[in-house]
Amino acid sequence: MLTVENLVAGYGKVRVLQGISLDVQQGQLVTLIGSNGAGKTTTLRALSGMIKPDFGSIRIGGADITGLSSHEITRKGVAHSPEGRRVFPVLSVEDNLVMGAFTRLTGSRPKGDVKADLARMFDLFPRLAERRLQLAGTLSGGEQQMLAMARALMLNPEVLLLDEPSMGLAPKLVEEVFSTISRLKAAKVTMLLVEQFAAAALEVADYGYVLENGRIAASGPAERLKNDPAVKAAYLGAAH
Amino acid sequence: MFDFQTLIQLIVSGISVGMIYGVVAFGYQLTFATSKTLNFGQGEALMLGSLAGFTIMTQIGSIFGIPLPIAYVLMLPFVLIFGMAQGALVEWLGVRQAIKTKSEAGWIMATIALGIIFKNLAENIWGRDTFTFPNPLPEQAIQIMGIRILPMEVLIVCGAIALMAAVEMFNRRSIYGKAVVATAADIGAAGLMGVNTAQVITLSYALSSLTAAFAGVLVAPVTLTGAGLGSALGLKAFAVAIIGGLTSGVGVVVGGVLLGITDRLTGYYISTGYQDVPGLVLLLLVLSFKPSGLFGKSAIKKV
Repeated sequence: MLTVENLVAGYGKVRVLQGISLDVQQGQLVTLIGSNGAGKTTTLRALSGMIKPDFGSIRIGGADITGLSSHEITRKGVAHSPEGRRVFPVLSVEDNLVMGAFTRLTGSRPKGDVKADLARMFDLFPRLAERRLQLAGTLSGGEQQMLAMARALMLNPEVLLLDEPSMGLAPKLVEEVFSTISRLKAAKVTMLLVEQFAAAALEVADYGYVLENGRIAASGPAERLKNDPAVKAAYLGAAH
Repeated sequence: MFDFQTLIQLIVSGISVGMIYGVVAFGYQLTFATSKTLNFGQGEALMLGSLAGFTIMTQIGSIFGIPLPIAYVLMLPFVLIFGMAQGALVEWLGVRQAIKTKSEAGWIMATIALGIIFKNLAENIWGRDTFTFPNPLPEQAIQIMGIRILPMEVLIVCGAIALMAAVEMFNRRSIYGKAVVATAADIGAAGLMGVNTAQVITLSYALSSLTAAFAGVLVAPVTLTGAGLGSALGLKAFAVAIIGGLTSGVGVVVGGVLLGITDRLTGYYISTGYQDVPGLVLLLLVLSFKPSGLFGKSAIKKV
């Protein structure tokens, strides 16, 4: 579904990604783990067009999307729940979700049943249903995270990019986020998950990539990575 | 002896001119919200709207022999479209490149330059002299408890409020309006929703000039019109946008009316020569003590 080859990207003259390749199959949950500054967020930003890759290629379902603007990439079905959530604080919860379906409502993606999808999101995230008409800026961090994920899902995406959905959340909420991700996986949503909680991410994922200094240092089925001594030592820690 | 009735009279006429400042200031806000840039040729957009309106209206009137009020109404959609096209042109020629290259000051010079070009163009087409804009409503003032109010002044206030309400409705209700609000809140995240944010910025320039052009045909029947109409109004409205706050819709109405009234009071009680001073003093005070504007939430960007 999503194929990345030799991706080089960064900010100005600083190259963060030194040429990474990865592959996300349809219906798969793939996780990208690594320490802070390894380039996880940069990878997602390059995939969704928030920054322009310097080199390499990105394909979605066979179509080349390398170098397109983020709105064009979104129209191809890549949904990105970005770092820091980035919900629209001055819009209501419902309007944030409606914005998630912007491409469907304006004819650049198949419309489907937006109303039914809204209802589905409120089912999936009951807390959002309670706050339907509240401004997103007044939500708690956990609720904003739910909203960011739900908003991305409103695209009916071919692939969903999730950037550190657990960041800054209380342990109980982190659990909730991961159980939501499991449910999405069960519903066959194709996902690329960037996470700092490597153990939890590998627990739910089918496949994993370990990013180190802008390069893929290891990859393999999540089960295998979880038991890989080197990965264990570097990212999972003794406590996990 | 202090004449209370004159005071009320001045306030009433200050309100109508203040609403014009408010509408034009509202236009400044529209582009600032989406792109953190301003069209410093906003006054010229107003002037062009009024002159284009004059020409369209006299054409409609002369060809079909249509009465003035109807000719005025028929002229409005043309002027609004003209305003949108003019605003989109300004964005395309003067602002887009500056935004793309993240130039801090490029758009300032470009929009000022375009304003001057538009003014020269207008001088060549319509001449340098001022002239009367046909008044669609009766010239006879309405008397309410001794206060004289021109029907056109009532129309100015109603029209200004209607226009701002219409833009507000568009932003709240329509999916494209929501895209504008989303772009204003977080341009990167709006892009992730599939919104072509460059187009949204063009749209905000189009809407901004539309409001100015509309203000132009509202104000022209009570003032005179001409190529010189814009400069002073544009600057006043800019002061209003700063005083009211570049992010506050209520602020520009209050700021506009405040400035309109102080203008009139100073003009009458002190001297018309000092008419512009109190408003500008207020501007300086606001910049010193509350740079985000009386009603503004966030600090304005250095200009």
